[in-house]
Amino acid sequence: MLETLGFLAIAWTDPWLIFLVATGTFTGIYIGAIPGLSVTMATSILISFTFKWDVNEALALICGVFFGGVYGGSRTAILLNIPGAPSAIATAIEGYPLAKRGEAGEAIGLTTVMSVFGGFVGILALALFAPVISEFALMFQSRDYLLLGVIGILLVGTLSGESFAKGAFAGALGVLIGMVGLDPMTAEGRFTFGSIHLLGGIPYVAAMIGFFGVAEALVQLHTLDTPAIKQKIDRIIPKFSDVKKYFWLALRASGIGTIIGALPGTGGDIAALLAYDDAKRSTKNPERPFGTGTREGLVAPEAANNAAVGGAHIPMLTLGIPGDAVTAVIIGALFIHGLKPGPLLLVDTPHLFWFIVGALTLANIFLLIFGLTGIRLFTKIVECPKAVLIPLIIVLSAVGTYAIQNNPVDVYWMLLFGVVGYFMKTYGFQVGPVILGTILGPMMDSNYRRAMIRARQDTGDFLWQFVSNPISLILTVALVIMLLSQTPLWPKLRSVLTMRKDSS
Amino acid sequence: MTNTSAGRRPGELFFVLVMLVFSVGAFWQAYAISGFSGKTTPGVFPMLASGVMVISGLVILVNVARMPAPAADAPSFFADILTLRHIVLIGFVVGYVLVMPSLGFVISSALFLYCAFQFLWRKNPVLMLGLTAVTLAIIYLVFREVFQVVLPQGTLLQGYF
Repeated sequence: MLETLGFLAIAWTDPWLIFLVATGTFTGIYIGAIPGLSVTMATSILISFTFKWDVNEALALICGVFFGGVYGGSRTAILLNIPGAPSAIATAIEGYPLAKRGEAGEAIGLTTVMSVFGGFVGILALALFAPVISEFALMFQSRDYLLLGVIGILLVGTLSGESFAKGAFAGALGVLIGMVGLDPMTAEGRFTFGSIHLLGGIPYVAAMIGFFGVAEALVQLHTLDTPAIKQKIDRIIPKFSDVKKYFWLALRASGIGTIIGALPGTGGDIAALLAYDDAKRSTKNPERPFGTGTREGLVAPEAANNAAVGGAHIPMLTLGIPGDAVTAVIIGALFIHGLKPGPLLLVDTPHLFWFIVGALTLANIFLLIFGLTGIRLFTKIVECPKAVLIPLIIVLSAVGTYAIQNNPVDVYWMLLFGVVGYFMKTYGFQVGPVILGTILGPMMDSNYRRAMIRARQDTGDFLWQFVSNPISLILTVALVIMLLSQTPLWPKLRSVLTMRKDSS
Repeated sequence: MTNTSAGRRPGELFFVLVMLVFSVGAFWQAYAISGFSGKTTPGVFPMLASGVMVISGLVILVNVARMPAPAADAPSFFADILTLRHIVLIGFVVGYVLVMPSLGFVISSALFLYCAFQFLWRKNPVLMLGLTAVTLAIIYLVFREVFQVVLPQGTLLQGYF
């Protein structure tokens, strides 16, 4: 217990680490808020710059950026009706009408307090449940990890994309990218075409920066000329009576956020929409109809998406399965620092786990401070024209990619992924599953082969494993339900069955 | 670009077709790794992945082909998806990453930033020059001094930048 507290306090007692968390949170708020910059983009670029740092320092910065970024999206949602991040879509629905009525300051104040509240709930859940889940996860077999990987990729692909097929395609493409290079089990080359550049594989950070940085910058080119709208902001500290009034709603939304965040493949954006929907149904007498600026509709999604941050860390740290695109990028960071996120992380490196919990808590406190101050500076920075932002993103992406191995070839890869990613985004493919697939692909490959070897290469035995063990059975059923509900298989099967019934 | 209706976007069919051809090629290459010689060979998972790509690619192709074609008066591929702005900017970026190894980070970035700012913003060239200098100075200080990133030095001007 005392040891745990000591680990928790690492981030709190070192001034340099406190400074890094504060800087991370501060920049995160702006990155999340400036339309065109995203947390995923920032984290991918940051990882390439910080991988030579001490792991604690890198994590302190990334924890701050993650928290600040998820929150920052709400500010532009309220002020400009542009959700800075997908997790702020619901916030825009209620926040912008509030701002138009001249209550922007109060709306920002309320979202800040509720975001921080949600954040604490998520962190608490992480601290309480991760050790339990981690112990439980020690019982997981190779096949269970294979199943978790597939479920995670498919969930990200189907919940956010245009169609199941596009999600599956993107995920499989990612897995394929992850396969390039020497096979870790037999040292045989895969897709190397005799080139030494490909033997080491395609660096996934190059893929991340390409898909989230350059591709996004190219998408942003379409909205180059959209002018910014200015809002008047006055009182920003929310009324205590308001905070008290929405306490239970925020608590419930945080619960939803934590659980959704903890599911592999679902993150803050879905958590926010679900919590918004829940608030809509559970609020009997809103002061105004939903969609026209109700505070309930503002509180719920904001509490939920920040709670999802803590939640998303649970599967990432205990199972090694990232919850969403940002945690997929962070998992990449952990790998780069030589760490193995998974059930053994808590056993082998408990100090790291508790350090993350401590840093997240600290980031949340800084969020409260920065969230309630500096609004004047904020409105200035957000008006930064995209004509300046887009070239900057590209330069940072190029330098970031180069920094990984000082290899210009990586930069060419990054650019290729950027252009392909632009077309994929344009035609309704999600790029999140590609990254998830790239990260999880090698893990799934080795787990598949281990499970197959355990079944003595007998396919029947291999398949039997998926249903003969309670944990595997639950995961298999979850996967089957997902496949049936997301594809046209089930309606087709049903119509065939009813036809048969009718004819008999 | 912002088309969310059921209609097909310009160039969509072609893109999906290219992706499908790529998937088939990837499957063929995956097969070439170890064929069907065993269930735990290095080629099995790549074949599974590319197989999923081929199947889902076919489904997407059928779905896209079934959509109504873009209307005759709808903006074309080059007006809506790959605009002149995109082509020029991508051209700048390609040039940027190609000259970076020889010119080094500072000069190539300065050239790129200036061209891109000028092209996208179209303001007073002196102002753009100033903007380039300021942003580049910030990037250089932050990344060279704070993050201690090794920036490309450039073979042509070795030692100067």
